[in-house]
Amino acid sequence: MTAAVRMKVERLITLVVEDDDSDFQLFEAAFRRTPGDVQLHRVDDGESAVAYLAGDGTFSDRSRYPLPHIILLDIKLPRRSGLEVLQWVRQQPGLCRVPVIMLTSSRHTKDVNRAYEKGVSAYFSKPETMKELTDLLGALKDVWTRWFEFPSLDDKAN
Amino acid sequence: MPANLKPAAPGQPKTVNTPDTLNGDKVFRLLVDSIQDYAIFLLDTNGCVASWNPGAERMKLYRREEIMGKHFSIFYTEPDLAIRKPWHELEVAAETGRYEDEGWRLRKDGTRFWANVIITALRDENRNLLGFGKITRDITERREAELRYRLLIEGVSDYAIYSLDPTGVITSWNAGAERIKGYSTDEILGRHFSTFYTPEDAAAGLPQRVLKQAADTGHYEGEGWRVRKDGTRFWSSVVVTAIRNETGDLVGYSKITRDVSDRKKLLDTIRQHAEELELRIAEREQTNAELEAFSYSVSHDLRSPLRAIEGFTDIICTDFGNQLPQEVKTYLGQISTATRRMNRLVQDLLEYSRLSRIELKPTAADVATIIEEARLQVDESFRERVKVNVPAGVKAFVHPPTLTQIIYNLMTNGLKFYPAGKQPRVEVSAEQHEGKVRITVRDEGIGIPPEHHERIFQVFERLHSASKFPGTGIGLAIVKRGINRMNGTVRLQSEPGKGSTFTLEVPAA
Repeated sequence: MTAAVRMKVERLITLVVEDDDSDFQLFEAAFRRTPGDVQLHRVDDGESAVAYLAGDGTFSDRSRYPLPHIILLDIKLPRRSGLEVLQWVRQQPGLCRVPVIMLTSSRHTKDVNRAYEKGVSAYFSKPETMKELTDLLGALKDVWTRWFEFPSLDDKAN
Repeated sequence: MPANLKPAAPGQPKTVNTPDTLNGDKVFRLLVDSIQDYAIFLLDTNGCVASWNPGAERMKLYRREEIMGKHFSIFYTEPDLAIRKPWHELEVAAETGRYEDEGWRLRKDGTRFWANVIITALRDENRNLLGFGKITRDITERREAELRYRLLIEGVSDYAIYSLDPTGVITSWNAGAERIKGYSTDEILGRHFSTFYTPEDAAAGLPQRVLKQAADTGHYEGEGWRVRKDGTRFWSSVVVTAIRNETGDLVGYSKITRDVSDRKKLLDTIRQHAEELELRIAEREQTNAELEAFSYSVSHDLRSPLRAIEGFTDIICTDFGNQLPQEVKTYLGQISTATRRMNRLVQDLLEYSRLSRIELKPTAADVATIIEEARLQVDESFRERVKVNVPAGVKAFVHPPTLTQIIYNLMTNGLKFYPAGKQPRVEVSAEQHEGKVRITVRDEGIGIPPEHHERIFQVFERLHSASKFPGTGIGLAIVKRGINRMNGTVRLQSEPGKGSTFTLEVPAA
């Protein structure tokens, strides 16, 4: 495959790491309202996120739990924080290339700085209204489906 | 030497060898004859006057010729004669060689004077008694002075004034000492002054240290607990002074003690109050800090359910709106409005608590830029109602985001409180003034009655219902806290119907 050929993502696989059920449902609704297809997989704590990405136990079934193109990660999570998950991801061969987007209610400068230090791809605070959330997630989906260049997660790939 | 004064009669004993050139006897006689302040004369072995000098004449008023040969008992008072004191004195002098005494003596005219008397036995080479030498000094004045002084000290009742010998044994005692310490003079004379110290202090050697410091430096001053005769304690203020004689030998100490228990009690009370106050302040600060932390986490955790309420209401309205009765849609609209208000409230509270927690690091910032940033945050439909009149180059030493927020809050505050139908108008100006930058935000709104000027800067204080003038009641609290944290001040001038002027003062850069 030559570098000039853009990796075409027909159906965007997104892993959402979010402990708040309502927030997750709002994400779903916001994605539904905007054009473009996105397949959401969800885990609700940091440990499960690592297990999912590592393919541990039931998560080894990649037909049911495929590796994501994108990770949407909250910071305040049970068991393992979003920053810990991020750090773990960045240490894995191949997987370390996956774009990780923080979407969290924390607007602490400290959290923002730590996240970027640990290699987050982008950091957003959760919008206050449904309209704003739709705008944000719609824009992200638009960028991902139309403009984004995705890396290969195969660690043998150049 | 007055011419009428003749040398004493010959026949006096020669006990001293003087150089021949000085003609010993003559020179000695000249010396004695010249002395006016001392009565110096000889007595024979019986006690009769055998020589007389001008000092004796001046003091006792007898002329030489009338006194020669008279017995010296003529100088003594009745009581002394009754106890045969003169003869006793001669006996002692003859026995021991010397007799010294102080006491009343009589002049020729019958008046008394207080005399210091030294009688010396005079003997020849074979120790045969030749007579007596007598030196008398009139020390009436000194005695009176001492007496006055002693009476003065003895009469002082507010101060314990007493003296110690070099080892610390009490040698004098005044009325004040008796009153303060409870011991009478008879009880205490001869006892060691460590009696007054607490057992702890005495065991720790404090009395010795006090005397040592007084001896070394001349002086000791201190305060501490002392014990009365009845065992009760009092807080004393003490001054100890070393007393030295002419040759510098330590002869004792004077000690002045005051009972300052009342002052001590007062000081202790004040100190206790101060400590309580500090404790309360510390407690309050901690409570405040806990409240801040609490309000932060509450505000923070409230946002998540708020997002859910707002979000699901939005989804229902948008996605299922055409299936709903109008009434339901109206209620959902009210839910949305309430949610937005609560959101605003939570955000303002977060901002308010954040202002208390975070460090506002000041930098030199251009005031015109900050004011323009604040203006650009004002809703576009009102932005033109804000007039800015700030000269370029005014710089303040502030935390720029906080000052921006403060000015934005004052701008929106000024735009909000207008009677229906009147066009709002806000004017912002700034000037540098004696190391400060003064920023004024003036509106022509409904104004604020003077009695509310303090209150409006407190959290959740509102003068009007939210339906009349919407708002969270936190905006001005943020102004006040933010400006205080930047070492600035905010003042309000306002009257109902005449608009309001908020004046900020912050350090100039």
